[in-house]
Amino acid sequence: MEPEKFYYDNKIVRNFGIATIVWGIIGMTVGLIAAIQLFHPAANMGNQYTTFGRIRPLHTNAVIFAFVGNAIFMGVYYSLQRLLKARMFSTALSQIHFWGWQLIIVSAVITLPLGLTTSHEYAELEWPIDIAITLIWVVFGVNMFGTIFKRRERHLYVAIWFYIATFVTIAVLHIVNSFELPVSPFKSYMVYAGVQDALVQWWYGHNAVAFFLTTPYLGMMYYFLPKMANRPIYSYKLSILHFWALIFIYIWAGPHHLLYTTLPGWAQSLGVAFSIMLIAPSWGGMINGLLTLRGAWDKVREDVVLKFMVVGLTAYGMATFEGPMLSLKQVNSIAHFSDWIVAHVHVGALGWNGFLTFAILYWLMPRMYKTELYSKKLASFHFWIGTLGILFYAIPMYWAGFTQGLMLKEFTPEGILKYPNFLQTTLLIIPMHIMRSVGGAMYLLGVIVMAYNLFKTMRQGKLVANEPAQAMALEPVHTIEREKAWHRRLERKPIQLMVAALVVILIGTVIELMPTLTISSNVPTIASVKPYTPLELQGRDIYIREGCSNCHSQTVRPFRSETERYGEYSKAGEFVYDHPFLWGSKRTGPDLAREGQKYGNAWHYNHMMDPRVMSQGSIMPNYDWLISQKLDTASTPAKIRAMQTLGVPYPAGYDKIANRELDKQAKDIADNLAKDKIKVQSNKEIIAVIAYLQRLGVDIKATKTTNK
Amino acid sequence: MFKQFTENIQGNQVYLLFSLGIFLVFFIIVTVLLLRLKKSHVDHMSAIPLNDNEGEVLNTQLP
Repeated sequence: MEPEKFYYDNKIVRNFGIATIVWGIIGMTVGLIAAIQLFHPAANMGNQYTTFGRIRPLHTNAVIFAFVGNAIFMGVYYSLQRLLKARMFSTALSQIHFWGWQLIIVSAVITLPLGLTTSHEYAELEWPIDIAITLIWVVFGVNMFGTIFKRRERHLYVAIWFYIATFVTIAVLHIVNSFELPVSPFKSYMVYAGVQDALVQWWYGHNAVAFFLTTPYLGMMYYFLPKMANRPIYSYKLSILHFWALIFIYIWAGPHHLLYTTLPGWAQSLGVAFSIMLIAPSWGGMINGLLTLRGAWDKVREDVVLKFMVVGLTAYGMATFEGPMLSLKQVNSIAHFSDWIVAHVHVGALGWNGFLTFAILYWLMPRMYKTELYSKKLASFHFWIGTLGILFYAIPMYWAGFTQGLMLKEFTPEGILKYPNFLQTTLLIIPMHIMRSVGGAMYLLGVIVMAYNLFKTMRQGKLVANEPAQAMALEPVHTIEREKAWHRRLERKPIQLMVAALVVILIGTVIELMPTLTISSNVPTIASVKPYTPLELQGRDIYIREGCSNCHSQTVRPFRSETERYGEYSKAGEFVYDHPFLWGSKRTGPDLAREGQKYGNAWHYNHMMDPRVMSQGSIMPNYDWLISQKLDTASTPAKIRAMQTLGVPYPAGYDKIANRELDKQAKDIADNLAKDKIKVQSNKEIIAVIAYLQRLGVDIKATKTTNK
Repeated sequence: MFKQFTENIQGNQVYLLFSLGIFLVFFIIVTVLLLRLKKSHVDHMSAIPLNDNEGEVLNTQLP
């Protein structure tokens, strides 16, 4: 039989490669601007579109879905073709995938600064973009499976299983976490509320880390590391065990993001138990990668690509050891909501995702351009400045997180909080924040140097857009001997493999999500908790638009340090009308769950106009545009109707009178402000925000008064 | 030393034990499947990324 001739598509790989570099620089620059605002609030340039609450989601989305996303597609499109000995299924689909994905990113760059957000972390994009993501993801899947079906290699190498698991799990995560009820073309409400919404969000959030930032990169590691070191993976059997154990366990660990919240205790315990078990497969993967270099460590000394791989794998090992530790309740009580978590995710993102991406870029580009890397010296400089950048980033953040976490818990011998004012702890860690942004800038500089180096490399070579190859066609299966080993049979059946992976991830999903979503006793209701008034609802939507939950949590954990500081700890029943939940995941400022009626309306007005007038040294930005911008009340009836559809018990026909009630409440607040000599029209956005802030946690106080 | 951690686990222990049980069964099944793999097959699989040098017929087509 004659071997068949065919061509690998290198152009699509190159395009995704350029996209990852460009978006990487943009995403990291936005991150740097956001970081600077945390010690110099005026770095928002006095502009609502570039203020922390709006650009922090832009930063996370850009680095996760644009930088890492394009890097994944680059790695998958290169390795998939070679592992299957086949060209991509359809060049047209590859192109649609590429341009569709870039278009989605551009739409994020436009909508997030405009404040169009669902407020679900790492899933902030509004519903039309969610639909676009689904479509493009399907295009990717069809293209991948099409290639698998026309392959010339019977068995699927382990890297491809990781790609298949990535495809199917991200699809499930994205769909379940995007159940939104549209109110207008760019506004929707999550179908789930409160605790249930939080559980879905963190099941999603955690597994986005697992199946977007981890499994595709593990697949890439299993392909590229053997190529770079020119030796097979240390243990293929370990890679299989690693694969199944990792995807099985990861999906359960989400609730460790919700420890000490009102999530049912058993779900929290499950999250903790599986998080600790997760060390085993994670380290199995890291060790498998590092041991692949056994006997080749001399190469690491000279080869910058391998240096990046070794530091990347080490960062993976550190982050996946730290994750389980952070999920221990004792550690979590200090670390959660603090800069510690920021350090943790950046060790993963900068070290693992970043360094693996750089290694692959440095390895791929010269090969596809049939040339040598333009400058090894510059690449080496990139390695060192990047590594130092990670250290300069992570160490101050660990320091800051630990310091602040402990300060917030400290009591005097008399039994009162030693630092009752949250701001005292913030001011102390500002030097760490300055150092962190230096670390981030160093890392970014490295990436820019890489971009220059690779640009020069491309200039001196010529892209082999279609790389020739030849391989034997597959014989029909019935002519070969039936394989006895079950797993070996699975390795040549992509659909069965996908179904098996799907079943494995659904086990944890169903056991964990279903009881909380369906059994009402898991979310006890509280009689005095009532739906928001129309004005409060509008205020809440502005709170979402401005991304307040990026810095302020809305859940008081049951610790004495927190009940002393904020008030009574949160109950599940308080959040039943919260579509979406707004618990947040980081306390750059204090918790707001019990903010209502703590201060007068005038305090909030002045504080929003310039936080430093009320709290000296505050790092919160000015929100003066809320004072000049008019509240959009035309949307009120549609919002009320949407809430009714979601089961919020507004009386029938309430949408028609909602704006009348809104006007009345707004006028009351404006009149109240007038008493403090603050002249503001009642139709401004600030009035709605004040109304919402004054409502927070008030219902539960009402229970107490009636009980007395 | 670990008592303090296990004591913190609250709520329905059945969920926990049931979930650990499922994982254990799953893990044992995968391990058994792995042990049944032949060395020649494992060697063939782990060599797949390496045999794509230009100008060669790439796949060896082991059954």
